[in-house]
Parts: sequence; C-alpha cells; structure tokens
Amino acid sequence: MSLFVLICLCGFFTYLTRFLPLTGWLPAQMPNWFERAMYFVPIAVLTPIIVHSVFITPDSGITLADNTRLPAAILAVLVALLTRSVIITLIGGFACLWAISYFGL
Amino acid sequence: MTSAFDEFKRGVCDEMPLQIGIFPFGLVYGVLGVESGMSVLETCLLSVILFGGASQIVFTQLLASTTPAGVILATVSTVNLRHLLYGLSIGAYLRSLPLRWRILLAYLLTDEAYAMSIARFRGMPASPFMHYHLLGTGSLLFIVWQLSTISGAFLGTAVPESLQLGFAVPLSFIAVLAPVIKRRAEIIAAFSAGATALLLHDMAWNLWLICAAIVGILSGWAFSTFEKTPLMENSK
Repeated sequence: MSLFVLICLCGFFTYLTRFLPLTGWLPAQMPNWFERAMYFVPIAVLTPIIVHSVFITPDSGITLADNTRLPAAILAVLVALLTRSVIITLIGGFACLWAISYFGL
Repeated sequence: MTSAFDEFKRGVCDEMPLQIGIFPFGLVYGVLGVESGMSVLETCLLSVILFGGASQIVFTQLLASTTPAGVILATVSTVNLRHLLYGLSIGAYLRSLPLRWRILLAYLLTDEAYAMSIARFRGMPASPFMHYHLLGTGSLLFIVWQLSTISGAFLGTAVPESLQLGFAVPLSFIAVLAPVIKRRAEIIAAFSAGATALLLHDMAWNLWLICAAIVGILSGWAFSTFEKTPLMENSK
C-alpha cells in the first residue's frame, strides 16, 4: 500500500468517528460499557508510548543502566503533577535530559 | 442574543490560550514526520487529512520502525475511536444543522475544540448561531496546527539528532496523563498497558502498541466495572 493511500485511509476512518455521531444514525447515548472502555483509551494508548520511548533503546532493548531519559522522565512526572503545565514539563524534562547527556551530571 | 460573529470570536478567544501547548506539539510532529521517512508534503498532508495530534504521533512512530500498513491503520483508528463520544455529546447541539455544516464541523471536532465548545454550549444560554463557536475554536486550531506542522517539517532536517527532540513526545504525554491518573482503576490501566508494552516490545509488526492499548482498556474497564468507579469528565 502506498503511503498516500494509507494516509487517506487513516483520515477516512478518523473522519467517520467524528461525522457518524452527527448523523443521528447512532443511538444518542452509547451503552455504558462502551463509554467506560473509551474513558481508558488515552491512558491505555499514551502510557505505552511513554514507557516505550523512555525504556526501549533501538538495538539493545530494555535499558535501565546509563539511561539518560529515565531521570528526565521521572522529573517530568513530578513537574507535571506540581504545575499541570505542558510547557513547564517540556522545559524541565529537556533541561534534565540535556544536562545529563552533555555534562554527564 | 449573540450574533454569529460574537460566537465565532468567542470561540477563537476561548481556544487561544491552548495554542501555547499546540504549537510546540505541532512543531515536534513536523520534525518527527520528516525523520520517520515521510516527505515534507506527506507530513503536511497527514496533518490536513487526519488532523489529530496524538494519532499523528502514533502514525510517525510506527512508520519510522517499518510497520505493516494494516497495523498502522488499526492502531490509529483505535486511538481515534474516542471521537465517537465527543460527537455524541456535542451532537445534541449540532444535529439539527444543515448537512454542509455538520460535514465541516465534524472535520474540526478535535479534543481541544470539543473541550472549549462543549463548555460554551452547556454553560451559556443557547443561541441560533452557537455552532459558530465550534467553527471558531476549530478554525484557530486548524490554522495553528498546520502552521506548526509546516514549520516543523522544514525544520526537521536541520535539527541535530543529539538534541533528542523526539523526547518531547513522552514529555508532553506525561504532562497530559500525570494529573489524570489518580484513582485505582486509572493506575491499573496505566500500569498494565505500560507493562505489556515492555513485555511485548520485540513483537513483530510493532503490535506491542495496539496490544498494550487493548490490555490497558480492558483492565481499566474490568476493574472500574467491578469497583463501580464513576466516570469523570476529564477524559481527553
């Protein structure tokens, strides 16, 4: 499948999830189990991406020792809990990551 | 009664503060898009056609590590399935609009536009022009998202790899999730999804992400059903 076709297919299915509820063809209220399951989608999708980007190094798999991303991520969690700000979390995380990688702190 | 322009302007103003977070996120997406092997044009096309931040990041991550198209499609669709709920909850205010309006507003219905416009629909007196509010929030978001994508895509090749700009992805997701994960059902969903991602990271075709997502959804769902955890309005 060409990349362009893949982009269009992803776009088509995403658009359907946005348009179908506005047609009146779906029930006005989704069943409770579905709403409950959807509530966990952001947590269930974003956590694996965080964990994968922090712990997995290409070629060497799960990395704990000498992992500069790990302390930066832990700091970011604390900053996010304290400030709830995306920007301050980004600044804190990168400051920690760069400090460790460049100066070996 | 508010006029169409009042509503549109209010939508733009309500959405404005969120752009501080949107612009850098779009910039990072643009850089990652080019790094994942897409051309500048393809990176921008994905922003126009898909128009959904988290799912576009998922797309680039899977594309960068050569994933079969079917797996990318399934994962992106799973990530975006939650729009059904936004559509249904905001649909009560939009369903009587002419079809051309619904076609347009459906396209603009993203996490951030939904959040701001549902607050206006519920919190303020109804007006025959209130759909212009969603047009305002959605349009501003669309413009900023496309501009930041284009900037990131052109910047992409110039950013030195030693800066590890891709780390912005876990960082911004941490910023979104950390304040949300509070109750036991949420902790269990996060932990089981994260653990599954580590256990299955070697899996063929990058199936780790969709498997981890399904495990996380199921365990959160099962535990919250069992415990009867009430759902909160903070799902994004």
